[in-house]
Amino acid sequence: MISVTPKNLSAHNVKLDLNNLSPEQVALEIKHLDLYYGNKQALQNISMSIPKGQVTAFIGPSGCGKSTLLRCINRMNDLVDICKITGEINLNGENIYDRHTDVAALRRKVGMVFQRPNPFPKSIYENVVYGLRITGVNNRRVLDEAVETALRSAALWNEVKDRLHESALGLSGGQQQRLVIARAIAIEPEVLLLDEPTSALDPISTLTIEELINDLKKQFTVVIVTHNMQQAARVSDQTAFMYMGDLIEYSDTNTLFTTPAKKKTEDYITGRYG
Amino acid sequence: MNNWFKSGSPWVWLSAGGVSISLISVIGLLGLIAWRGLSYFWPADIYQFEMTDEQGKHLTVIGEVYEKESIPASQLVHLNLDIDSSVETIERLLIKTGNRELVSLDFRWILVPQINNSSLPAELVVIERRTNGNFYGYIEDVILDGQVVEQNQMLQLVERVSDFQAEMEELQKSDIGAINYQIERTRLKERKHILDDTLTTQLQQEFKDKVAGLKADYKVLEKQLMALREKISRDQLVVRAMDGQKVTINFADVLQVTFNNKLNVFEKLKMFFSQIGAFVSKDPREANTEGGVFPAIFGTVLMVLLMTVIVSPLGVVAAIYLHEYAGNNALTKLLRIAVINLAGVPSIVYGVFGLGFFVYMVGGSLDQLFYAETLPSPTFGTPGVMWSALTLAILTLPVVIVSTEEGLSRIPSAMRHGSLALGATKAETLWRIILPIASPAIMTGIILAIARAAGEVAPLMLVGVVKMAPNLPIDGNFPFLHLDRKFMHLGFHIYDVGFQSPNVEAARPLVYATALLLVSIIVALNITAVSIRNRLREKYRMLEH
Amino acid sequence: MDKLNIGRHISGQFNEDLERIINHVMHMGGLVEKQLTDALTSVCDADEALAKKVLSNDYLINNAEVTIDDECTRIIAKRQPAAGDLRLVMAIVKTITDLERIGDEAGKIANVTLESLSGKHKDLLSNLDNLGRHVLTFLQATLDAFTRMDVEAAIQVHKSDDKIDREYEALIRQLMTYMMEDPRSIPQVMSVIWSARALERIGDRCQNICEYIIYFVKGKSVRHTTPEDFDSLS
Repeated sequence: MISVTPKNLSAHNVKLDLNNLSPEQVALEIKHLDLYYGNKQALQNISMSIPKGQVTAFIGPSGCGKSTLLRCINRMNDLVDICKITGEINLNGENIYDRHTDVAALRRKVGMVFQRPNPFPKSIYENVVYGLRITGVNNRRVLDEAVETALRSAALWNEVKDRLHESALGLSGGQQQRLVIARAIAIEPEVLLLDEPTSALDPISTLTIEELINDLKKQFTVVIVTHNMQQAARVSDQTAFMYMGDLIEYSDTNTLFTTPAKKKTEDYITGRYG
Repeated sequence: MNNWFKSGSPWVWLSAGGVSISLISVIGLLGLIAWRGLSYFWPADIYQFEMTDEQGKHLTVIGEVYEKESIPASQLVHLNLDIDSSVETIERLLIKTGNRELVSLDFRWILVPQINNSSLPAELVVIERRTNGNFYGYIEDVILDGQVVEQNQMLQLVERVSDFQAEMEELQKSDIGAINYQIERTRLKERKHILDDTLTTQLQQEFKDKVAGLKADYKVLEKQLMALREKISRDQLVVRAMDGQKVTINFADVLQVTFNNKLNVFEKLKMFFSQIGAFVSKDPREANTEGGVFPAIFGTVLMVLLMTVIVSPLGVVAAIYLHEYAGNNALTKLLRIAVINLAGVPSIVYGVFGLGFFVYMVGGSLDQLFYAETLPSPTFGTPGVMWSALTLAILTLPVVIVSTEEGLSRIPSAMRHGSLALGATKAETLWRIILPIASPAIMTGIILAIARAAGEVAPLMLVGVVKMAPNLPIDGNFPFLHLDRKFMHLGFHIYDVGFQSPNVEAARPLVYATALLLVSIIVALNITAVSIRNRLREKYRMLEH
Repeated sequence: MDKLNIGRHISGQFNEDLERIINHVMHMGGLVEKQLTDALTSVCDADEALAKKVLSNDYLINNAEVTIDDECTRIIAKRQPAAGDLRLVMAIVKTITDLERIGDEAGKIANVTLESLSGKHKDLLSNLDNLGRHVLTFLQATLDAFTRMDVEAAIQVHKSDDKIDREYEALIRQLMTYMMEDPRSIPQVMSVIWSARALERIGDRCQNICEYIIYFVKGKSVRHTTPEDFDSLS
């Protein structure tokens, strides 16, 4: 490795040593994670630490396992019968694959937003308070406040404040996706997982969401999977490149997109034959 | 030509033709039923035919023309008719002559060539009666309280009497009925105590007093009833039939007196609708061949609603289990196949099952456990409306299960995942997200179930339907809804009137009218369910990308 | 060209774009080299016509710079190059700026020719000629390293700039003695000093280009670093 004295690094972007984070800097720690779909191994010995309060992006070609890895973090893979997982993912020092883990509680701590906007066929208001109602909150004042906070955080408040009780399905695609994000952050998770959140949206809506992600990292640790490399470059602080179930390279985004260490990464991000 | 085939228009024509044929047959069927059924209510003209029969005797025939048909002349050779041999067919008319007390059959065929003269005398009257069917003839005298009075008072008299009748009916049905019910209950209570060996002399005395009190009340009411009966029995009507015989009819027997030939179109229309109203709101008379069908309507609707209440939760829960919880293995597949095949079992088999299992086993056990005091006369151990509803619920269960499952599988997994990712458990997701979205599909299943159940007759004959039920399953006596009672059903009513009544000819219009009513009720139930479904659909419409 | 690895993009259009730009840069390098050669020849031979030609041909280099600049901008806008591609484009953008400056320096040298120098200063010019020849070799080596994107060569070239610096200092000292001996010759000597200065600047520019080559290949910026850091590169 070359060590160049970092005289020339800009001040606002403090580079973290991803291999050597202090415990309070770590939001999630993935250790030797293997995942099998039936007999097929989909993830191989993934180990990485995701730092707190930052945006971490997973990139890689289709089928590389990036979405699978993301779904491991809030145990959405449990819904797949043939899925088998070994290894650990530690959230706040506790292994989420422990036998005693309350999956519903875990998912309240690790929110998730999907590829296509999936608002429930209810009013905007009811969509946002869904997670709260599940936890038994029914106080009108508390809910009203939560709706406003969440919608403001999701940069949607000004657009929908006059029609909170209209159907969420009347919103545009970009607004729906922001509503879904608002729904996820209304329950105040620690980590927010975004699974290709803009792949079904137009470029302008995409930019709105990207801007939103940038704001969100002040409150949450954000993990995003994206097909769009430029998007990963724009929004993330760390980027992990995955290929065929392996974590090839994981470093800070600036380094990865200018001087990747691995040839596979370079070939992928510059659009060459692998 | 080849191009025409390639353009695909032959297939468009073919499919459009298929649709047209289906449409025409449905409209034709409904039209036929409606025409035949509704014409039953239209006040018909009453003809007076002067004719000479084959023995040269002169006679007068009065009545409504029911049917006209042509028959080959050769069939009538034995009658030695005075007809030109070149005539091949002869027309004959079916006349409803009524007057059952004078002739054994109230219908007769007359041959058109024998008619000398036909007329529509304005003075001819139709008297609709409680017994013995219609009477056709001329009014001779109106007798009020034993005195002959002016004929124009007759209509007021009819009204007055029908008011009395209503009063009597009220007395008989609710007041006296309630007292009878109380007496029976008291007797059963006493018997229960005897069975349980807890009857003390004090209790015995109590029961005795109570029955005595009730019987005293009964006496009072009975006296009232007798007084009313006495009152109206003194009003009479003397009428002359077609053969000149004079007949005296008690006003108590008279429902309606109409001069059909005097009515203009508007009066006829008015009468038409009042007849329809009477048909749907009155009880049947004369072994179901006269009067209304209200108990049958009531029974049909109540049974279908009960069935819906039973089948909906059962079917939905079963579908949820099959789709959401049961593992995707051979057993589940087998279960699913079994459910689908259940829909193909002939309905009479369900009837047999219902009779054997529900009525005799379940009902019998219930009687042993809870209604021992009434034994050996069964309470639930006999066909009844509850068993009918249960049997039909099982019959329609597959429909609800299949369409609910269909609805569940159409819900995009994004909805489930969205809810699960927010920390909802599977049950919460089902309850808050999946079921509301699937509700239109569930409603579709219920609609299909209702459509199937409302038209089903065969199994009901075994598990609860009767020709004539003395009481409705709902009345004013506690517990108001009597699930153990037998009930009447429109479908069975059609069968009974059409094929089991003493006079099939007379009953045919009634069959059509009842069929029309049955179709209307099913349509009404369906429209209600469909409109509920459409509202749900609008509410939970998924955004389609 | 293999080293550049530009032939393997999934987008053939992108390959062509990059290849065209590199060819343009090489063409521009050739132009600059020719200008410098001509300028030096004109000084040595006191060939005013050639010097004028050098001055009038400077626009070719300027045009080439603008064209390549445009092409690079287009590639950044349309292709959003990353990693190696991005570094290549950045290196090219910077290289052409330096090449254009070298062209300008060649013009300055040609200007010296146009100033009439008396015969007594001819030997001054021969000293200048010596330095010029070295710088020319230096430029050729740089362009050669650029063509092959050869880090080793670039480091070698980068290091040999010291020699030019020393030669320049020696020349300046010599010219200073001239001026002290004969103050009347100061204006003429000054113009020679300007030329020497221009040559020295060309050396620095070449050094910059070498740094860009290293940046492109290694992904490390070696500007403003000590020579010891270079050793860790290879």
